[in-house]
Amino acid sequence: MASSELIPALDPMPVPGPLWLFHLLWVVTFLLHILLVNAVLGGSVIAAWAGTAKPGHRRVVELLLTLNTWAIPLSITFGIAPLLFVQVVLGRFFYTAALLLPGWWLGLLGLLMVGYYLNYLAKWRLAKGGGVRHWLVLQAICFLLVALIQVVVNLLHMQPERWATVAGSIVAALKDPTLLPRFLHFLLAALAMVGGVVAWVAVRRAGGAPAGERAELDAMARLGVKFALYATLLQLIDGFWLLFALPEEVLKAFMRSGPAAMIPLTLGILAGVLLLVVLAQVHDPLAQGSKVRRALELVVGATAVMVITRHQVREIYLAPARAAEELITTAPWGLIALFLVIFVAGVATTVYAMVRAATDRPAPGEQAA
Amino acid sequence: MDYPIWDLALGGGVLIGIVAIAHVVVSHFAVGGGLAIALVETLAVRRGDGALRQLAYRGSWMLILVSTVFGAITGVGIWFTIGLIHPTATSALIRSFVWGWAIEWVFFILEVATAVAYVATWNKVRPRTHLLLIWLYAFAAFMSLVVIQGIISFMLTPGRWLETKAFWDGILNPTYLPGLVLRTGICFFLAGAYLTFAALREKDAGARGRLVRLMAVFQVAGVLVTYGGYRWWEVALPESIRALFLGASPKFAALATTRSFLLWALTAYLVLVLFALIAPRLQRWPVTTLALIAAFAFFGGYERLREGARKPYIISDYMFSNGVLVSDIERHNEEGILAHARWAARDDDGSLEGKGRAVFRAQCASCHTIDGYLSIRKLIATADADTVDVILEIMHEQGNAYASGRVPERTELDYPVMPPFVGTEEERRALGVYLATLIPAHVAEVRYGK
Repeated sequence: MASSELIPALDPMPVPGPLWLFHLLWVVTFLLHILLVNAVLGGSVIAAWAGTAKPGHRRVVELLLTLNTWAIPLSITFGIAPLLFVQVVLGRFFYTAALLLPGWWLGLLGLLMVGYYLNYLAKWRLAKGGGVRHWLVLQAICFLLVALIQVVVNLLHMQPERWATVAGSIVAALKDPTLLPRFLHFLLAALAMVGGVVAWVAVRRAGGAPAGERAELDAMARLGVKFALYATLLQLIDGFWLLFALPEEVLKAFMRSGPAAMIPLTLGILAGVLLLVVLAQVHDPLAQGSKVRRALELVVGATAVMVITRHQVREIYLAPARAAEELITTAPWGLIALFLVIFVAGVATTVYAMVRAATDRPAPGEQAA
Repeated sequence: MDYPIWDLALGGGVLIGIVAIAHVVVSHFAVGGGLAIALVETLAVRRGDGALRQLAYRGSWMLILVSTVFGAITGVGIWFTIGLIHPTATSALIRSFVWGWAIEWVFFILEVATAVAYVATWNKVRPRTHLLLIWLYAFAAFMSLVVIQGIISFMLTPGRWLETKAFWDGILNPTYLPGLVLRTGICFFLAGAYLTFAALREKDAGARGRLVRLMAVFQVAGVLVTYGGYRWWEVALPESIRALFLGASPKFAALATTRSFLLWALTAYLVLVLFALIAPRLQRWPVTTLALIAAFAFFGGYERLREGARKPYIISDYMFSNGVLVSDIERHNEEGILAHARWAARDDDGSLEGKGRAVFRAQCASCHTIDGYLSIRKLIATADADTVDVILEIMHEQGNAYASGRVPERTELDYPVMPPFVGTEEERRALGVYLATLIPAHVAEVRYGK
């Protein structure tokens, strides 16, 4: 049986909304998700690498453990929305890919939970003055494996022609020339972003810090810049590796897609090159705060446009398999409007609550909660 | 049916059960716990009561470590698991209720952010801000229940949705409100039960008694609300479903037993929490543990009853548990099931046995394993090939009854919890041949000897 004949039939239920809206929500929510994932993945790897022995590194680990206290649950929560929308639009491809490696797909959750609890364990051990390096390494391994499984399954869902050979075999699933550059593409972006965050936090803290703390903050900032710089340098190489590792027909179709595809890709590459230039100019990060901030903005900007490129490449991959697909859509606008109102109100309330939690402090003599 | 089949010796249903039970006992605490902690801290601030504040503090850590970590991941775990075991049903639910889930997701964001902020701001912000965080958490957590209850109850009682396929008809189905009341009560009593453990850590005996009594009040209220919700739920069920566990047929004796069990468990739980209410100073962790076990027993019993009453469907009157749509029975009978089960059809090597194996994987493997859970080899061990054939013929006839639109009373069916057999005559014969190869050889020999 040909692989294309293994694509399950379309769900007879109509798609409950215009496709463009699902694509838009999917891309936007995936961007929010991937920024948080970057924080978790990059944060855990940098923390494991840094350890607490060298001057300033303890501050880095403390920062990243605190950051991950927020980033892990939020990345899981923000992952729900793209998970919903991929199922609406590409459910039959997505479910099949997961079912080709069911144990690995489900095991991802176990790894996630272990990584999450290790964050609290390491935070607690650090507060008690205990060693945390091995826990940090274990946590980083958990999140790296989660990322790898995600990349493998995501690659599979857009390649039905590989399904017949991959079914049940993780080894066969790993045999994709784009797997390694794609995995590294995510990892390096995460390292660059978190490197930028570490450096930026050090710059902010150095503002009113006493001279004694400045040396540690300087070490922290330099570590962040170093990670961002090397990760970006490797990313430029890896980005081209990934681009040219794409199947020939996908690459050609992508290159012929016109401005809609070329603009985000060009902007992404430009942002990467600019990021490299900015980071290379940073010799004293604490004194060059604006450059550090610019670097962070460029990482986030590059991620945003690359999320669009990623979405477009997926469409091209799947175009032959979906050529005959005739999706029926309905437009329950009242329901969609209700979601949008709740979304805006929910985000506004969350932001208000977070700002208040971050800024409200008792006056001298006043009781704290 | 149309997807790759995961050969899981444990059984797909058991896996869903494990993940779902782990999630619901935690997620209901996440909802009730938010409300309980909000009330406890509000009282602590108003009365300047340090013991109450400590209870809220300890409870908040339980909320984070148990609910936000474990609850969040097992919640996503249910998604992953049902997508692996029942992809067709998951797809149907997504297409029907994606906007409901999207709305629930917004409440998740508020819930997670406020939970983490609440724990992170002890001793840092003014009490008013801290209370705002926990009340926002309680609101968001309850609203997530308000949404998801619509989808859970829909699967048992889709109501008018079957004709209209409209979102609101599905969400506001006949058992939506009673189920919501019932689950709200469960949230209350689970929160009270968990937080009693936190209360028992209070060193001052007088204060400990006060805290235990407060939590007992929470639990008694929860039990009463739950009982009211349960009775309402029973009344709201269609007569055909209610009859299944009210002893109308010996075929459903297990469901009737489950119903008795859960009501007795709730009664036992009520007695234990009344003891805590009357004599809070005598409360110790073994009694609290016993109460929690009784609470779990009721909750587990209710979920088992709800799931059991839904068989053979995964979405009542719409889709069977093997992914076959009621509306597709005639089509499958004409065109053959293997024409619509691409992955299972790969096992069809051209022989009758091979075709039978493929039919088994398409229609039966979502519930039955060969040698593991609901082992088909064990189930047919005492049968012979002719008996298997007769059973399949009866199950095929049941399919015709479903397809005719006159959905039979399940108590009148020979195989009421099984989806019907659908497919061509050849496929039915092939399945019979394949199943006959699974009958243990010694059984066949004994039969031959007779």
